[in-house]
Amino acid sequence: MSKPVLIIGGGPAGLAAAHSFATVGKECVIVEKEDRLGGAPILSGYAKLVPTGEWAKDAIGGMVKRVEDASSVKVITGTKVTNFDGAPGDFTATLSNGDTLEAEAVILCSGFTHFDSVNKPEWGFGTHEDVVTTTQVEQMISSGQGVRCPSDGRKPNRVAILLCVGSRDRQIGREWCSKICCTVSSNIAMEIREELPDCHVYIYYMDIRTFGLYETKYYWKSQEEFKVKYIKARIAEVTSDGEKLIVKGEDTLVKRPITIPFDMVVHAIGMDPNVENPEISDTFGIDLETHGYIDVANRYGSMGATSRPGVYVAGSATGPETIDDSIAQGHATAMAVLSGAQDLKTA
Amino acid sequence: MPIHEKSLIRPENLTTHEDLMLDGVDVSGHWSTFIETRVVKDYNESLQDEIAALPGGEQIHRCWQCGSCTNACTVNAINEDFNPRYWIYLIRMGMESELLRDKDIIWQCVSCNKCTYACPRDVFPEGVMKATAHWLERKGHTEKSPSTHFDEVFTEQIVKTGKIEESRTMRRFFSRTGQALAQPWMIEMVKRMLRGLPIGMLTRMGLATLVAPRTNDWSSASAAIQEYIDEQHEKQSQALSLAELVETAKQDVAA
Repeated sequence: MSKPVLIIGGGPAGLAAAHSFATVGKECVIVEKEDRLGGAPILSGYAKLVPTGEWAKDAIGGMVKRVEDASSVKVITGTKVTNFDGAPGDFTATLSNGDTLEAEAVILCSGFTHFDSVNKPEWGFGTHEDVVTTTQVEQMISSGQGVRCPSDGRKPNRVAILLCVGSRDRQIGREWCSKICCTVSSNIAMEIREELPDCHVYIYYMDIRTFGLYETKYYWKSQEEFKVKYIKARIAEVTSDGEKLIVKGEDTLVKRPITIPFDMVVHAIGMDPNVENPEISDTFGIDLETHGYIDVANRYGSMGATSRPGVYVAGSATGPETIDDSIAQGHATAMAVLSGAQDLKTA
Repeated sequence: MPIHEKSLIRPENLTTHEDLMLDGVDVSGHWSTFIETRVVKDYNESLQDEIAALPGGEQIHRCWQCGSCTNACTVNAINEDFNPRYWIYLIRMGMESELLRDKDIIWQCVSCNKCTYACPRDVFPEGVMKATAHWLERKGHTEKSPSTHFDEVFTEQIVKTGKIEESRTMRRFFSRTGQALAQPWMIEMVKRMLRGLPIGMLTRMGLATLVAPRTNDWSSASAAIQEYIDEQHEKQSQALSLAELVETAKQDVAA
């Protein structure tokens, strides 16, 4: 048990795992490819988090600080693992900076990649300036700038949020539900209504999946307190008449085509597998599941097992995941590593 | 059954040119039949707020279109065009012209409140139906319904005297709804009553007709109630932009 545990990625899952190890005095090393820790909530500038409403920079920032302050945690940023050899208890990782690291085990907390909306050109992203993503709206809010139309900085009077952009779409090979976008969109809709009370917010959906307790706090609250309107329609295209964005689709509840003007259209972008997953799969010798996420080999007997003993996975590297569940998985997988749970296979 | 497809074949959406040549081809008459576009061009965002400003309509924005109200509806069982779920949707999204197509059946809600108990979101669809019927009346889309006349006669009397004197209520109701007081059933009822020689009751009725009984010290209460009613009425008129409506109508007449 003398070698440290290697953690790939310093997002919510990786930070949680590192904190667990620090708590019991077990040495670990976080290797983060970006220049700082925090993962998507920090790097993409999220605003208020679901479900607590705390600002990402405070909530996740606190996790970062706790890990950076821990003496048993070593942080290496701007670096990737390029080669990984050995067996459980005795791995050697080669880093992109040329260094090598000895490790007892590794936890892949390599996360996801935001869906790139240019892959759905019919919805106008990249063509019309005022078509933005949920991530951009998060940034508008977290920066303090407020929700404004990028084209001319005006306050929008009418905003459409399109759900399932890059999710549940066989056309572009993304069959999964990204799980968080409905809730995030309800949250953003309320934030827009709070900042701009005269702005009407419409959410175009196929189904609403504000699962579990989010139903009350997001889906119901957004309607009951914030009067956000939900329209069952999958939008066909977003165009422009030169002044406004024109959203076309079918209102399926009245079976009527709609052609509605909007000031701003927000894509509720989904969670893609990390674009580097094929590379990660090669480097660490692990399997990916059919959608391209890291395959979880054992669902009941141990936490975070992959197809290779000694290599674990936690958080949104395994599939679309919420921040709090990623954190729980990070802690739980650290526990699995500490207890050598790989031996407890149920199969 | 689907109410939706009706719009595809609505007679007023069919256009036929009696005299039309296209590229030298005569397409007069039914050859040139077109269906008008049924694309929804925009939302009228004030519609939901207007309904919500009337008593009963306050919770309309909660609706998520599950259809429990329509499934539970007494009237829908008899007339499938009576569809509270559909109207709530039209109001929420601001499809006013669509709503007005059904203006002559919306008031038919019998207030059984089955929808109220079925609704998983406490929208109070019965209240919404009531608010919508009142909205139609106040906007001038429909005549005052008999029940509105009755409510008014009843309320006026209560506010004025603090009491209800039934024969007066009946007389005024019949008068305002343009009905003869001498209804066959009324004549029959009076005849049968008289067979029992109800001297005491007739005396009381006669007296009540003459002196209009009042609750003691009613005037200050009456004034307070009237003030509240006026206040609410004014608030609703503002929410419905009725003054502007009247102004526009005047200009139209002048022009």
